[in-house]
Amino acid sequence: MRRVTPAEIAVVDLAVCDRCGLCLPLCPPESIHLELNVLTVDRDSCTGCEKCVAPCPVGALAMVAYA
Amino acid sequence: MPDLDVLVVGAGPAGAVAAWQAKQAAPELDVALLERDRAVGSPVRCAEGVGDAGLREFANPDGADWAARKITRVIFLAPDDTEVKVAERDVGWVLDRTRFDAQLAAQAAAAGAAVLVGTEATGMTHAADGRWHVRVKQRGVEDIYRARVVIAADGVEAMVGRWAGIDTRVPARDMESCAQYVLQGIDFDPDAIYLQFGDRIAPGGYAWIFPRGVASANVGLGLVALKADGRNAREYLDAWVARRYPTAARTALTVGGVIVHTTIKRTCADGVLVAGDAAHMINPLSGGGIVNAMKAGRLAGCTAAAAIREGDTSERRLSSYHQAWMDLLGDDHLKYYRIKQALENLDDAFFNGLARTVNGIPQEKRSLGRIFAHALVKHPQLIPVAARFFL
Repeated sequence: MRRVTPAEIAVVDLAVCDRCGLCLPLCPPESIHLELNVLTVDRDSCTGCEKCVAPCPVGALAMVAYA
Repeated sequence: MPDLDVLVVGAGPAGAVAAWQAKQAAPELDVALLERDRAVGSPVRCAEGVGDAGLREFANPDGADWAARKITRVIFLAPDDTEVKVAERDVGWVLDRTRFDAQLAAQAAAAGAAVLVGTEATGMTHAADGRWHVRVKQRGVEDIYRARVVIAADGVEAMVGRWAGIDTRVPARDMESCAQYVLQGIDFDPDAIYLQFGDRIAPGGYAWIFPRGVASANVGLGLVALKADGRNAREYLDAWVARRYPTAARTALTVGGVIVHTTIKRTCADGVLVAGDAAHMINPLSGGGIVNAMKAGRLAGCTAAAAIREGDTSERRLSSYHQAWMDLLGDDHLKYYRIKQALENLDDAFFNGLARTVNGIPQEKRSLGRIFAHALVKHPQLIPVAARFFL
């Protein structure tokens, strides 16, 4: 579990996501899951590190304010 | 609650060969091969190129409907578009993965394995009886499959290994972000694969043209996002295609990740073996993984079968798989990885110069040894790269 509440967390745009799974092994806290053809980012464990955002081949991941 | 000896998760080349070889090595075992998607071999997330010798260990491509195109030449394109031809022999094949993967799964089925499509593993726990209890969803219905050995062949996502406590994460610098179109109506040498390097084309990776027919090809690229200028892989590919083939019809788009790292430190746990992309068993220089996956699948299937017959599926027993893999290819990948790191320090001007050096050698004399010797003399920047090879 993360120690600090992040200012921003990653979110996925499912209309853009191709379900390729590239981002799963990039996520240090293992917060990204792909099940039954739906990608999810767990907002309670995402640390906001952004490591998943730039590598997405189609730009489906972005950072948004954590509120 | 189905009771299995071997449960293979993922029906790509690693998983299909693992199920096939496990059943062939020990026909009395109950073996099942799970595929999450509703068809084996689909969607294709692959450039589909494969070397001739490695492929023939598992299947004969001559006249096969799953072999789209025979390749006899490799053409390297320097960043400034200088063409360099470096090989002219039985280089390899471009597969039709939809058919090829189905053919491998059919081999597994013919050996007696159960092939289950549209069936997704969603988690697993190691039960008190020593078996893995794998949660499986099929058409919205959840079930538990019990297995003595689970073979994790679930590709880049590598969730199954994670459920067994194995670290399958990848540093961002070792992930190639890839995008690929199938282009129709393009002009190129249909017996050749083309590879182009360049910081503005595919930083940290390369762009490729792999023929599917005389006027159609898989045209794609892989890049390392950390080295990119803010555009994603698809945007880089759009720019490259717009420049090379502005009028081509784009009849398919696929994207995905290729892990250009070294084999994970631990490829087994009690009752679990990890094979193929899930274990990062990809050549980190070329990004090729199909033959590696089949070789790992063969080792995993045979190890699982022998271990079950002996009544010992502990991590200690299964670790012979890790050693066999490292001896076969894993140690070579460590070497390739060091070379990849050294090559990362060379810029476009270097590769443009190297292309001119190689083109100065007559084509019939262009053996790899001679290219290497000439290149070392004219480009001393290569010496540290060569040194890595012997480290």
